[in-house]
Amino acid sequence: MAGLLSRERIIAQPGFNRWLVPPAALAIHLSIGMAYGFSVFWLPLSRAIGITQPAPGDWKISTLGWMFTLFFVFLGSSAALFGAWLERVGPRKAGVVAAFCWSGGFMISALGVYLHQISLLWLGAGVIGGCGLGLGYISPVSTLIKWFPDRRGMATGMAIMGFGGGAMIGAPLADILMKHFATPSDVGVAKTFIAMGLIYFVAMMCGAFGYRVPPPGWRPLGWTPPAIQGAMITSRNVHVSQAWRTRQFWLLWMVLCMNVSAGIGVIGIASPMIQEIFGGRLIGVPGSLNELTLTQKAQLATIGAGFAALLSLFNIGGRIGWASLSDYIGRKRTYFIFFALGILLYSSAPFAGRSGHVALFVLIFCLILTMYGGGFATIPAYLADLFGTQYVGAIHGRLLTAWSTAGILGPVLVNYIREYQIDRGVPNAQAYNVTMYVLAGLLVIGFLCNLAVRPVEERYYMTSDDLADARGAPRRTVQRG
Amino acid sequence: MSGGEPSLKPSPSSWVLVVLAWSLVSIPLLWGIWQTVKKAAVLFR
Repeated sequence: MAGLLSRERIIAQPGFNRWLVPPAALAIHLSIGMAYGFSVFWLPLSRAIGITQPAPGDWKISTLGWMFTLFFVFLGSSAALFGAWLERVGPRKAGVVAAFCWSGGFMISALGVYLHQISLLWLGAGVIGGCGLGLGYISPVSTLIKWFPDRRGMATGMAIMGFGGGAMIGAPLADILMKHFATPSDVGVAKTFIAMGLIYFVAMMCGAFGYRVPPPGWRPLGWTPPAIQGAMITSRNVHVSQAWRTRQFWLLWMVLCMNVSAGIGVIGIASPMIQEIFGGRLIGVPGSLNELTLTQKAQLATIGAGFAALLSLFNIGGRIGWASLSDYIGRKRTYFIFFALGILLYSSAPFAGRSGHVALFVLIFCLILTMYGGGFATIPAYLADLFGTQYVGAIHGRLLTAWSTAGILGPVLVNYIREYQIDRGVPNAQAYNVTMYVLAGLLVIGFLCNLAVRPVEERYYMTSDDLADARGAPRRTVQRG
Repeated sequence: MSGGEPSLKPSPSSWVLVVLAWSLVSIPLLWGIWQTVKKAAVLFR
């Protein structure tokens, strides 16, 4: 009898409804999406000893920030390393392992807070939690694409929308829990980590056990694959060990890396950027940010936070919106829009800032963030179109190293350029202009890479016998002579 | 693809499970979106 976690155990039975799979994926993605909200812990943790203010021995925020870097480094690494394993063992086992890693990371971090050992936070949340992020992120992709061959973009968009929404749930929840657990001698973070670790464990285990895989040859009722597909949609498969040897893999790697670098750079600086560019104009008073009173600066900080929140709403909207639209207009055309429109928008941002058009500035970045989210959500369907569905989860896992790279490249580029400008006497309000043009330049690279994408060469496709072996099915008998 | 498994017609009762499953994930997501909308609303005041 197949083990509880085995792939064979989760083949859907007659009567199963494929619309049960996206909520299972969402349960996992909403949990791991809290990674984006981890900065809610920085300030309390920087006062873990001093409680009301930092004291000698307290951690600096820059030290804590390494957890964030580790998240995305290990997300990409674990997705790349274990993607093939996931395809072999199925999404339930991968989801369970992800649940233990993500929740276990919280528990180890709680111990780190209790013992005041930063290395335990880096190890717990950063390394182990990062591995949970990677496995959890790719766990539903292959399964959703197989359940929704008629709407691949929408299917993966639903799951990846969850990743964007995870911080919207987790950050206010963390605030509530920290306030509940805080005492005069404890900022409440350790207990919050334990509580959230338990909540996420339950949610992710429910998601993992909710996964089902379609039986071989399954297709949606009333749907047949189009007789003639576009050249850019294959009905064949490329093995994960071959995919990275293709030009198309590396073109898509650059597509994702450039799109994410540009967007992540903006996300990191959205709040200070709007405050520094518009200053007192945001609250109807003259003067730059540095010329305002403390009360006025606090008002601006609230507006900055509001801007960042608005961007996150457009981020998740873009994930489901653009990915679903790509089912109708095609993946290559979708990314064509991302890059062409993105170049125009980034290049226009300095004008909006200089001319004081707050509404235009906000609109520009809201649109940019839809395409940042849409880029994440559409890429699995793009991979499935080019490389087939058999190994799409594993190939997607390897592609996510582009995200890890972008997670470092984007913020470094943005912060370095800003500091460079300020050091040379450029007023803070104008220090972002060159940054916007550089980010537009990244999108030009992405545009050209996307334009160059063509169908995979014949020699990379698996033969029907190789595919049968991979699926554990009988080989076709070839009659000779 | 000929000769494969027939399509699985979802059982009528499965839609009850679908509604339940989507509710379980939508409620916290909508709560999170609402928290974010409240924060973002300050931009429009």
